[in-house]
Formats: sequence, C-alpha cells, structure tokens
Amino acid sequence: MSSYLNTRVSLFSNRLWQDEDFRTLIESEHSELASVLAERGLPQLAAGFDTLDNRSLEQRIIAQLLEDTTIMIRPLTGKERDFLLYWTQHFEIGNLKTLLRGKMSGERPALLLSRLTPMGSFGHLDIQELAHTEDVSELLRRLESSHYADIVRPARRAFEESHDPFILDAALDRAYFEGLEHRARPLEGGGGKALRQLMGALIDRLNLVWLLRYRFNYNLPPAQVYFLLVASHYSLPPSLLRKLATLGSRVDVLAALPESLRKLLAGTNDIPEVFRRMERSGAELASKTLHSGAPSIARAFAYLNLRERDLRSVRAVLRGRLLGLPVADIRLAMLHACEGNA
Amino acid sequence: MFRAEPLVKIRLHMLASEAADAALELARFGIYSPAQHQPQILHENPALAYREAWLEAEARTVKLAERCGSLTDPSIPEGAEAPTLLDLEELNSWLKEVWVTCLAAYEGEARIAEEIRHLDALQETLGKLEHLNVDLAHLLRPEGLLAVNIGSLPATSAKRVGEALSMTGYIISNFDTVADQIYAVIAGPRERHDEVRGVLSQAGWRELPVPEELRTHPRTARAWLIGERKRVEQLNLAECAALETLRGKYRSGLEEARLRVELGRPLAEAAVSGVRGQGALASLSGWVPRRRAGELKEKLEERFHGHYWLNIEEAGKQEAPTIPSLVHYPAWLTPFVPLVKSYGIPRYGEFDPTLPFALTYLLLFGAMFGDVGHGAVLVLFSILLYRRLGKTTWIGIAAGVVSMLFGVLYGSVFGFEDMIGPVWISPLHDPIQVLSIAVAFGVGFIIFTLLVNTFNRLVAGDTAEALFDSGGIAGLLFYLGATGGIASLAGASAIAIPFWLMALAGIAIVAIYKWLETDASFGERLLVTSIETLETGINLFANTLSFMRVGAFSLNHVALALAVFTLASGLGSAGHWFTIILGNIVIIVLEGGIVAIQALRLMYFEGFSRFFSGDGNEFVPLKLMGIK
Repeated sequence: MSSYLNTRVSLFSNRLWQDEDFRTLIESEHSELASVLAERGLPQLAAGFDTLDNRSLEQRIIAQLLEDTTIMIRPLTGKERDFLLYWTQHFEIGNLKTLLRGKMSGERPALLLSRLTPMGSFGHLDIQELAHTEDVSELLRRLESSHYADIVRPARRAFEESHDPFILDAALDRAYFEGLEHRARPLEGGGGKALRQLMGALIDRLNLVWLLRYRFNYNLPPAQVYFLLVASHYSLPPSLLRKLATLGSRVDVLAALPESLRKLLAGTNDIPEVFRRMERSGAELASKTLHSGAPSIARAFAYLNLRERDLRSVRAVLRGRLLGLPVADIRLAMLHACEGNA
Repeated sequence: MFRAEPLVKIRLHMLASEAADAALELARFGIYSPAQHQPQILHENPALAYREAWLEAEARTVKLAERCGSLTDPSIPEGAEAPTLLDLEELNSWLKEVWVTCLAAYEGEARIAEEIRHLDALQETLGKLEHLNVDLAHLLRPEGLLAVNIGSLPATSAKRVGEALSMTGYIISNFDTVADQIYAVIAGPRERHDEVRGVLSQAGWRELPVPEELRTHPRTARAWLIGERKRVEQLNLAECAALETLRGKYRSGLEEARLRVELGRPLAEAAVSGVRGQGALASLSGWVPRRRAGELKEKLEERFHGHYWLNIEEAGKQEAPTIPSLVHYPAWLTPFVPLVKSYGIPRYGEFDPTLPFALTYLLLFGAMFGDVGHGAVLVLFSILLYRRLGKTTWIGIAAGVVSMLFGVLYGSVFGFEDMIGPVWISPLHDPIQVLSIAVAFGVGFIIFTLLVNTFNRLVAGDTAEALFDSGGIAGLLFYLGATGGIASLAGASAIAIPFWLMALAGIAIVAIYKWLETDASFGERLLVTSIETLETGINLFANTLSFMRVGAFSLNHVALALAVFTLASGLGSAGHWFTIILGNIVIIVLEGGIVAIQALRLMYFEGFSRFFSGDGNEFVPLKLMGIK
C-alpha cells in the first residue's frame, strides 16, 4: 500500500510548479496563458479562465485538489485515510462559513448555493437544505445534527452568547485545526517524525499569527487570546503560548520564542511578514519531505500542501493578469496568495 | 423488454407566461423526460427565477409540514392550473410569515423545555450545593472583592478554560456533569472580570442564574422549586394549546400551498435542463416515446387550442449517447431492475440485460445453494418479512424456489443427503462432474456476453470494434477455437487442428486491430498490442474458470452440512438436535449471504463488464406527486 502511495506521490510531485513556471505565467502574452496552463498540467484551469470570476476559479482549484486526494487515499485505510480525508474538510468548512455569512447578510438561497464549492464525494453537508434555512440560528441548529456537529456545537453556544461573527469564525477554525492535530497525533509516533514536523510548522504558524493578530490588532485580553489558539504539542506548547499571550508587544513575543523560530523571524516588521517567513519555511520543509524517504503519509501531506500553495499562487497570477496589474504587484499578490490558510 | 423504447425528441414553443401550464400538461402526460436540445438562439432560461422561487416555497412547505404533522397528500384537480411566478412569490411571502409565527410558537415550546431542564439542573445543583454546605447568599454577594459565577460549559472546553482563567487569577471548580456539560463555579478577583468575559463567551459558558429564592435555607429553596415547576407546566399546557390553535388556523392554507407547490413542480424541475427562451418566448424540450407522440399532440391541442408550436423529430445518430433509455418491464421482473441499475443504465439502443440477469442470477444462486429445506426457509422468511422487504420479497421467494428445485436435483434436505434420492446428481459423490458442468455453463455464458457485446457495438455504429476487437466476433472466434482445442485434449484429437487454427485466426485479427487502433510510437504500439492481445486470452479464460465457484459452492454447501453432522454426532440427543438446528441456521445466514453476493459478483464482473457500459441516461419523466 505504502509503495503505491509513494509512487503516486513521486509521480504527482512532477506536477508542482517551479519558480520558472510562475515566471513564464507572469511574463507570457495573454493569448498564451491558456496553453501555458495546459502545458504545465492545469488544463482544468486553462479552459475559459479569462471569463471566470474569482469564486469559480477557486472552485476549480479545490476540485483539482480533491481529485488528487481521491487518487492518493485509494490505498489508505484506518487512521492515515481519516487524516487525509479530514484535511479535505477544510474546504467544506469554507462552505460552512459562506453559508453562515450568507445567512447573516440575508442572502437568497440560489445566490448562496452558487457561491459554495462542490465537494463531490467528499461532501458531508446537505447544502440545499442548509441554504434554505431561514436564519443563522436555524442553520446552526441543523448543522448540529450534521457531520460537523463537534465543530459547530461549541461555535453555536459561543455565537448565541455574543452574536459576534468573529467569534463564530474563530471557534470554527480552532475546532477544525484541533481535530486535524488530534488525527495527526497517532501517526506521528515511531517513524512519523516527518509528519510531526509538517504539522508542527502548520500549527505553530497558525498559533503564532493568530496570537499576534488577536493580541495586537484586535486587542483581546491574554486569556481570551490563549483560549482561541489551537492546543498543540509542537514548538509552541500551551505553557509557552500562555506566557506569550501575556507579553505586551510583538517584539517581546518574537524575542520569547524558541531559538529556531526566533532565528527564522529575526528582523520581521509586521504580522504579514511573520506569516510569509513561516509559510515559506513550511513550504521548504514540505518540499524536503516530499523528496525524502519519509513515510508515505507525510509525503502525501507535504504534496497536498505544496499543491494547494501552487494553485493559489496560480490563481493570484491569473487574477493579477486579468486585472492588468503590474508584474511587481502580481509577485506581491503571489506572496499573499497563501494567507487564506492563516 | 430487451431494448429501450424508441423515442422522439420534442420541442414545445409557447408564450413564456404559459410555460408553467405547458410543463404541468407534460407532467400530466406522464411520460416526458426533459432534456436540453433547443437551438442556440434561445439563450435565456426563463424558468430560472421560477425554479428559485419554487425551491424556496417547497423548502418552507416541507418544513412546515414536518412541524404540522399530518398534512394530507394533495389531491390534484383535473383542470388545476400551475402557479405563475408572481403566485409563487406571494405564496413564499405567506409561507415565510407562517413560518415566522410557527417558529415563534415552537421557540416558545423549546424555551419551556429548556426551562424545565434548567429547573432540573437547578434542583440537582441545589442538591450538590447542599452537600457542600455553602451559603449561596454569601458566596454570590455582588459587592465582594471576589467575583463568582455559577454556570455550565461543554466538558471538552473545561481544561482549556481552566488554563486560560489561570492567567487572570481565576479558578474553576466543577461540581456536576450532565451529558456533555459540566457545571462549575468560577471565582477570581472582581477587577479582572472583564478579561474573563471574553473567554467565557468563546467557550460557550452559560450562566446559571441563581435566583434570590435559592439564596436561602434549602427547605425554602425546594418549596420554591416545586412552585416554579408547577408554573412552567401550566405555561407548557398553554403553549401546546396555542400551537394546536396555530395548526388549526393554518392547516387548510398549508394544504392549499402544498397543492400549488406540486402544480409548480413540473416547470421548476424542467428548468434544470429542458427550458430555454428568448424574450416572451419559452421552449420546453425533451424526449417522449415515438408511439405516444400523436397522443401528446392531441392533449396539447385540447389544452392550448393552437397557441403553441410543437416540433417532433427523430434523434440524430450523434445524439445517441444523450438519449435516455426507457425500458418497460413486466411486474415480476421489476424487483431485479435496481440490481442491474446499481451497475449502470443501458445506453439507448443497447441490449437491456435485466431478463437474462434475473434468470441467470436465480439459476446460479439455486445451483450454489441447492437444498429443499434451506430454500423453503428462504421462501417462508421472504413471505413473513413481506412488509419490510417490499418488492425484494419476490427475489427472496424466487431464489428460495430455485434453491428447492436444485435441492430435489441434488437430493438434499437441510443437509441430509439420504432423505430423498438425487434426481440428477449428488455434488458430494461426483465433484468433478459438478465442476465440469459449472465451467461448461461459464463457456456458454461468456459466448452469450460476446454476442451481446457484438450486437451493442453494431447498434452504436462501431462496426470495426464489433467485428475485430477482443469483445467482438474476432474474440468470439478465438474463444470458441481455444475452448474447442482445449476440449479436444480430452480425447477428440481429430478436431483439435481446425479449432486451434480458428483460435489463431481470431487472436491474429484482434492483434492486428489493436495495432491499427493504437496511435503511438512503434515501441509503445508493440507493447500495447502485445499486452492487450495477451490480456484478451487471459481474461476470457480467467472469467470462464471463475464459474468453477458455482460448482465449488455447491460442494461447500454439502461440506458445511457434513461438518455440522460430524459435530452433532459426538453429542447426546438434545445436543445433537440443537447443533443440527444451529448449524442449519448458520448455513442459511452465512452461506446464503455469501452465495447471494457471489452470484451477483459473477453477473457483474464476468457478465456485465463484457458488454454493458452502464453509462446510459435514465428516462426520468416529469411527474406530479400525489396526483389523484
């Protein structure tokens, strides 16, 4: 089984884009864009990309990622399969947030449905029924009897107490990533060091960026900031997160980080820069894992992360090109492309 | 029964304002399947807004029907007209109003239920606090330096809340757990209470208000709780009465709404694929059986008196893959249809395998599970479970009867081989012959599938594939030749050479065809041709040998019974019969299940996969629900 997945991942890794590919996409003539995409393994994005809105492009990107995942999970069983399947659920959590926001703003069901990403066999939500609920309370009540009950239940109680959309989003994100960490944990023992490193890079990045954002952009009290972070066992354990949340400035927080993170983030001036450095470091780690003899599940996870990163960068370039932005701005947009994950 | 009924495509043009009525008429006709084949010039979908409004109305009526309980199915009057878009929008507004009113009432009911739960919790809380010997009045003093909250939160958040609160000098102490909620007291410095508020809100903390009445002597508190419970119960009765009044008030309106929603369903469903238009013109398109086209024309004329234009056309060849398949089955065959459809739907014009499937499936099942007693049990249970099994009952009865027939042929009753003599053959005494018959049946079955595949390819216009490919005449030639050649090894050496020559000719034609069909470089062509040609031979014979399992399972059936008898013979009288009964139950349940799956597997993989692409489209007619 693992040899099948290893071979699959090795074959798939040729699909990942190199800097050269992005340069070609940025610098090609508009008329050549479709062929550049098709030649570099993205024929799904090539067809009619210039008439698609941002949402449709996003839907195609997710469809591509789900297609890759479908192939990779074929030989998997048990906890490894659960882990990769759970990873795909972050797209459906996106749908769930769209539904909630749509209901808050009183959107019509048809418009709401058109904005949801089709999840195919990965879907767990009855989106027709959910889109036709009357308000957020009814939607949340129905979600509580859905596949996402564990994620939604605490979010609903929190929302009912505060009616703050931020609290709802934060509660959903935290619950999802805690679920991911929980599913990764049994796979990290024994030879699972590579997966532990990948998960560590992801969760540490989320926790640090969220901590800085909640504490210094939204000025939330330390206790609440700590509560909003993902309970993890990587470089930033709960005791350290508690300490970091009580510090008074971004500089103090960065100075109190463990050695490896402190070095990585030395000289950063703002939170987006912190995100970019950690994201780039995570991508380098994923690339190293992908080309190493790590266990197949770690390589598959590394591939999916890199593939999602690539596709989001491609989307950023295409949007930039279609809006006629200068090359420098497109490159900047590429750097921001992956921030949707933070 | 063997092929889909010939269909013609229709395009019905009329005023957009009459599209809903036209769709309703087509649904009443009962055998019209919508599909998209209007000219490109009609690039609008005039029914989209209609569908959107209908979906909202339908969702609301369904929700309200769920709440109201026993709404009767709408009886659709003969001359009823479909609602217009405006009607649907008005209906939607009314339904929303009703929903909001009902929801308020239901929320009231839910609030009372919550209040009852709250009182229960309070009662338990009081019990717990009594044991702790805490003076609540003292504990909850509003003017003290210590801020105290009593409430509940999800058990999963408790640890994390404790850690977060510790950052503000607060402590949390659990005193009870109910389901997934824990009840706790939180206490800490009052001046930092604002910092705690955010955490509690995020954690889904619910304050448990301790009323003044509870901040007193426990006995007085208990009396208050009893009084409060009486009050809530009275409230509950009043709320139920109010709900009943609401149900009575809106029932007839809701039934009328359901009727209108049903009348609007045809256009809303056709809008997905069969409606186009431009300006005030709308066009519905789809498929109807050729023999009913005249009747449809008459019905439309009667309804619209010439204010429409109906175009009836034969389908073009290139449209074949999109034409839906409409096959009529006799009632006794319909229970087998879902088993065929679970593999796929035959393409339009293709051979429909339901009848041979039903016959062969029953034959294989009976051959593998041949026993008069076991078959009788199957029949009996199928009849007893009639209500639960529905149409599937018939499959159970038929399988049981065939199993009994084979039981007579094998001479087996509940595993006893000596109760009746075999009319045909006893698997245990002549296993080689049983296996040989199974393989011979397999040969016949494979030949049948190759012939059907040839027919299907010819119907689809793939003449070359029908003649020269491995699933066509060339493959059949090879298979017959090789089978004859192998059979001749058993003695008839005179016929060996002509058969082997036939096999060689067949495989050579297949190889040449593969070579010509492969569009690749020389090396790749060579590789593809050799592998696919080799695969032809291997597959055909592997599939044939697969039928040995039919013989093997009939042997297995006897062997299992023998094992049961051997175990039983070592026991006393009571144990003996207990073991035999239990053993027979195990055989029926375990082996019966395995054999049912194996027969299905043989049909799907050795049969359907050879000739049945299963990627056809189902004929889904527009229908009215609850029509009377």
